Amino acid sequence: MNIPLWVPVLLPVFFGILTYALPGKLKKIVTLTGEGAALTACLLIFLQCKDSPITLSLGGWNPPVGIVLHADEFASVMILLTTFLFLMLTIFENKQKSANKIFHMLFLILEGLLCGIFLLDDLFSIFVLIEVSTIIVALLIMFNRGSRSMYDGLIYLLISIFSATFLLFGLALLYKQTGTFSLSLLGEILQNVQNTQSLYLPYALILTAICLKAALMPLFSWLPKAHATPGSPSVVSAMLSGLYVKSGIYLFIRCQNAFSVIDTQSFFLIAGIVTAVIGFVLAIAQSDIKLILSYHTVSQLGLIMIAINMGDEIAMWGGLFHVVNHAIFKTMLFLGAGEIIHEYKTRNIYEMKGVAKRMPYISAAMIAAILGITGAPLFNGSISKYMISHGTSNMVGEMALIIISMGTIISFLKLSQIFFGGNNKTRVKISLNRTLVCVILGSICLVFGLLGAPIINLLFGVSVEIDVAGYLTKSLIFFSSVAAAWLIYRYLVKGRKLWNHIRKFDLGFNTIALSVVLFFGVLTAYLYLV
Amino acid sequence: MSVISFGEIGAIIIFFIGVYGVVARRNIMKTIISLGIMDAAVILFFVATGRNNVAGESITGITTVEDALPQALMITAIVIGIAVTAVALTMFIYLYHKYGTTNWEKARKMRDEE
Repeated sequence: MNIPLWVPVLLPVFFGILTYALPGKLKKIVTLTGEGAALTACLLIFLQCKDSPITLSLGGWNPPVGIVLHADEFASVMILLTTFLFLMLTIFENKQKSANKIFHMLFLILEGLLCGIFLLDDLFSIFVLIEVSTIIVALLIMFNRGSRSMYDGLIYLLISIFSATFLLFGLALLYKQTGTFSLSLLGEILQNVQNTQSLYLPYALILTAICLKAALMPLFSWLPKAHATPGSPSVVSAMLSGLYVKSGIYLFIRCQNAFSVIDTQSFFLIAGIVTAVIGFVLAIAQSDIKLILSYHTVSQLGLIMIAINMGDEIAMWGGLFHVVNHAIFKTMLFLGAGEIIHEYKTRNIYEMKGVAKRMPYISAAMIAAILGITGAPLFNGSISKYMISHGTSNMVGEMALIIISMGTIISFLKLSQIFFGGNNKTRVKISLNRTLVCVILGSICLVFGLLGAPIINLLFGVSVEIDVAGYLTKSLIFFSSVAAAWLIYRYLVKGRKLWNHIRKFDLGFNTIALSVVLFFGVLTAYLYLV
Repeated sequence: MSVISFGEIGAIIIFFIGVYGVVARRNIMKTIISLGIMDAAVILFFVATGRNNVAGESITGITTVEDALPQALMITAIVIGIAVTAVALTMFIYLYHKYGTTNWEKARKMRDEE
């Protein structure tokens, strides 16, 4: 059966409106039906994409005038991931009182918008969807109307609009020269451009906006605020950190393909390394569990950025696989963190003790996710990190990856102390749906690790051989870096005052806006000078 | 490549005035206004670009009319701009009721003290 490509975009929006319009009792059923239907549609599209990419011209108009939906393998994996995680999050949130009609409506509409961003081929429509999804995300961040989340939501909203205006201005300049917004058409047209200099300005403007969405250094300051704001429901944090930032990475890959005449790989490679390092340094400094996780997202986004800019085929697929993996374990960790915060009534990890005894299932799933994120052997992160390290051609790259991985391990050693100690051993009652979601996500971490190569083949249609000797070497490196990380944590991190200063690192709105302008300036200067 | 028209130069200048406003002003209201200025500048640029195509290559194949696509798109952009401004102002009003300030730095200090 052929599913038209507009179904995953419009179906969730339709069900979202239905949830709002129908009486409150029906909201659970309607929402779950919508999510389930969207997941089924995406699954069918995914299977269809196995044979050949699907294209759909809306209204029968072809580019350059019409809007085109396009699903290739990567896009179909992304929409599948989106609908799957949204279904999981809805099941998780289902019994919560705060999840009223409006929440479900916003959540479903956001799902449709995200699918749209992943499927659209038309840059202007992507801009429109980015703007609308920004508004919805801002509303979700401040959903519980806590005063701190009001400030965080406002910063997120205004900075996103600021950068989206850069994107729109870039589109104006691009349209003036090429007369089209279609990414695939641009990719063909720009191949023949002799004088690429006239493209530098639109390119820099568009990429500034996309890098802000992908939280590249120095544009990441909004991310911890938006993802870790107190008072926003944990499903929202999980969705933002696991899924929403990935749209930035996705658009980055798309635009780099279209603008392949402009070579900026080394620029973004270095930016990725800097992002990854600064991300984990800030993550180690935090003591707030949500902030650790969200700064850690920054670090992992840097790692993905490194992978896709290495210019190596296998590392590239490793990066894409890491996008999927990161979505799963980061979602899991945020959900678990939300449960723990709810139970312990604190966000400080030093005040949480003995979680393993009190919440065994959630702890098990969280530990699986932590093993995945640190790249422990047999878990999913190890496969993607193994593939990423394939792209390193020299010692410097290899060392950078090991340092980033070690930083990840240190920050999670710090986090994992919440599982031990404590005198209170009473079990916490957690509803079945929440446990179920956590266990499913945790076991995916393990399954993706055990069946790494077949799953990559299934998802992306790429056959990767995982060399046993190489994998064992990586495992040895992992265990030695765990040991080294423990020593560093024990003697250099714990109780040192220096980290308190790093923790206070926080940019105000004007500084973030300035950093956007500076990033744009540096990128333009790099293009003209190098 | 076509010549840069008067409208486009004006749009670029206005755009960077807006950027200056966002970067340099501490007042949240002025930030929202500056974002509106940037938005208006881009809309002006798009409309001016459409006029440029009169003599050049029009994508519809007819060279006697101007390219209507940018103008059609700008209607969308204007609508989005209005929606975004409305949401931003609503959030700002909430923030003002909580903190009683229009200054980014003061709001940040109050947030950290909470």
